Amino acid sequence: MGFSISVVLMPSKSPSAAPASSPHPNPHPPTPAPAKGTRLSRVGLGLRHYLKRELLPLLADLRLAIALLLAIALFSTLGTVIEQGESLAFYQSNYPADPALFGFLSWRVILLIGLDHVYRTWWFLALLILFGASLTTCTFKRQIPALRWFSRTWNFYTTPRQFEKFALSAEFADRSLESVVPLLEKRRYRVFQRDNLLYAHKGLVGRIAPVVVHASMLLILVGAIIGSMTGFFAQEMVPSGETFRVQNVFDAGPWAERQIPKDWSVHVNRFWIDYTPEGGIDQFYSDLSVLDDQGAEVKRKTIHVNEPLRYKGVTLYQADWAIAAIRIHLNNSPVLQLPMAQINAGGSGRLWGTWIPTKPDLSEGVSVIAKDLQGTVIIYDQQGQIAGTLRQGMGADVNGVQLGLDELVGSTGLQIKADPGIPLVYAGFGLLMLSVMLSYFSHSQVWGLVEGDTLFMGGKTNRAQVAFEREMVAMFDQLV
Amino acid sequence: MDLVTLQGWLDNASFGVLFATMLVYWGCVAFPTAPYVQTVGSTGMAIANLSIAALLGARWIDAGYFPLSNLYESLFFIAWGITAVHFIAESMSRSRLVGAFTAPTAMAITAFAALSLPDAMQHAEPLVPALKSNWLMMHVSVMLLSYACLMVGALLAIAFLIVTWGQTVELRGSSVGTGAYRDAKYRLRRNGAAVTLPVAPASLAPSGGTAVLPTTAPSVTASSTSGAVTLSPQRLTLADTLDNISYRIIGLGFPLLTVGIIAGAVWANEAWGSYWSWDPKETWALITWLVFAAYLHARITKGWQGRRPALLAASGFAVVWICYLGVNLLGKGLHSYGWFL
Repeated sequence: MGFSISVVLMPSKSPSAAPASSPHPNPHPPTPAPAKGTRLSRVGLGLRHYLKRELLPLLADLRLAIALLLAIALFSTLGTVIEQGESLAFYQSNYPADPALFGFLSWRVILLIGLDHVYRTWWFLALLILFGASLTTCTFKRQIPALRWFSRTWNFYTTPRQFEKFALSAEFADRSLESVVPLLEKRRYRVFQRDNLLYAHKGLVGRIAPVVVHASMLLILVGAIIGSMTGFFAQEMVPSGETFRVQNVFDAGPWAERQIPKDWSVHVNRFWIDYTPEGGIDQFYSDLSVLDDQGAEVKRKTIHVNEPLRYKGVTLYQADWAIAAIRIHLNNSPVLQLPMAQINAGGSGRLWGTWIPTKPDLSEGVSVIAKDLQGTVIIYDQQGQIAGTLRQGMGADVNGVQLGLDELVGSTGLQIKADPGIPLVYAGFGLLMLSVMLSYFSHSQVWGLVEGDTLFMGGKTNRAQVAFEREMVAMFDQLV
Repeated sequence: MDLVTLQGWLDNASFGVLFATMLVYWGCVAFPTAPYVQTVGSTGMAIANLSIAALLGARWIDAGYFPLSNLYESLFFIAWGITAVHFIAESMSRSRLVGAFTAPTAMAITAFAALSLPDAMQHAEPLVPALKSNWLMMHVSVMLLSYACLMVGALLAIAFLIVTWGQTVELRGSSVGTGAYRDAKYRLRRNGAAVTLPVAPASLAPSGGTAVLPTTAPSVTASSTSGAVTLSPQRLTLADTLDNISYRIIGLGFPLLTVGIIAGAVWANEAWGSYWSWDPKETWALITWLVFAAYLHARITKGWQGRRPALLAASGFAVVWICYLGVNLLGKGLHSYGWFL
């Protein structure tokens, strides 16, 4: 599989006679087949042979990497066009079998190849694993070995012929290396000299950084895998004033059991919403207390969106809200609390409602609808007609009974999760940001040789061709 | 004059200036010998850049937060970014072609924002709870700057494709010497073996035996090029320059995109506990990242230099637009700015 591919770290056109374009000249000579030996060892050898001679070069092939990048991009688009994670009925009504979209995209096809959950299908994950394998192989088989070549300081060129192959080269009569050195140093080159030979370079970080880019992506991948194996997600909808334990786990990795908190619970002291003067939502707040086994408070914090609570590796996020109950009184009754349920409003905002009896035998009553926690509810009579509105702390006469609204009780929707992979992922993020920026630097190399009384100079760079040409020409102009 | 009137005046002014600048740059390409035209174009671009900056500054003072909360503001920010990146690309390449592509793009964006976006969408709205975070400025501004860079880079790739239309391109190695000749006093070659220069005008050929070494030349280069060498330094061709500047600008946009995506991921993890949730906008940012990563790798794949990576980069222009605007048309996900979480 002798693909002649040049990688980031390899000079595509090396002026040297040395085998620079393959820092690993055939590192694995063919293994002679064992004359004798068990069948098993022969299979093992065959496998190793296949791995080293066939599989690894294929995985390290840059064209495979490009194909994988584009394939992941292509398949990712599917999940943004086709709705993800909907019910069977949804796909049946939106993607009917006849007439099928584009003649083939019926709900059966969608469910068969998993287009309702693209990012969790076996084929998408296989693509990601293949990508990870390619990334790993490239990093260790190509980048790191090539780095060794560039970190040498003795890449001198000894014959004028070698200068002919340069993109930029020049020859000067009656010039010495000493006239070149200050020019190079002024431009921040590191200069190495031996007798009549000169090698100078700058921006080596532009060669090292891409290796770190790849390594930090591997770090993120590992962190993501650890997170998905040992982390969990839970959601709880808790009315103001109640205590809960984390129970409603909807997504957990196979080894997540240890992360789910068992020896502590959380008390919701209060949930409220701040509204802007125009009636829009300003912010959601939950005042939470963490309680230990004995019910003693060990931590307290008011969370809001963008400001979660963390305790023992578990994080609680403000994620949602609802109206849990309504507290009312009828005539002189004590305060009654009735639960409120969310009503299907047909997609036009969220509404909660309950039914309040106005006769002791429950033969008559009114419906009460609320849309937010601002303290106003709408009353509907038996016939479904609006019978008026009711404000918190006020009363209204319904069916001959005085109905007083004491309070609307909100519940806070908390997203709860633990992800032990986060430190690795964040470390990968940090390294990736740093190294991807450093990868902008162009590694420029300049060679010099004095033969007779003629100075030969040549140079190349791996990224900034235009800027490098200007720099070289400016130096040449000064040498004249 | 109050801030709102000033804003209304500035957004129309920046559109007008960019429109004029576009015409100037096009004239500049049509009549390459006309003097001062490029200076006029650059000045127009600078005025547009400053008036958009003033517009965003006025809105910042007006609303009290960094103005990146709705489509109108982000369109103007991206137009500002394109005019800013234009200057980087122009000074790197010293080519007037850059403005011929960036000016119409920036003009179209300001036209859309100032003229066709309904008034209701132009007003600064209070931030929804999910966006009330310092991460907003960090994440959104870096993302938009990266879009601006990637768009300019992709535009230059398109320019490269147009300039090299119908030619077989072999970059860096080959040389068709259309660059300026200078009064050379030394010998400079580009890939010795492949030099096939058009014959330099006699008047420009160096005069005899200055400091050069025509006498020593044959002994050194007798190999293959003795007949074809020139005594003039040979510059990168226009195609070479466009290709490399496109690469450098994309090389600037790619780290920005990476940082922007990571900032978004960290913000998402801090705000609602998941750094990656395959939200459509997130996914398209990843797709953009993958396409440009493929471009960067295609460039270093042997035998793929030239048009093939440029085609990838040019298609990246469409991908960036889908990521920036197209996804919002789906109206789903965290980035529709309408709903809480």
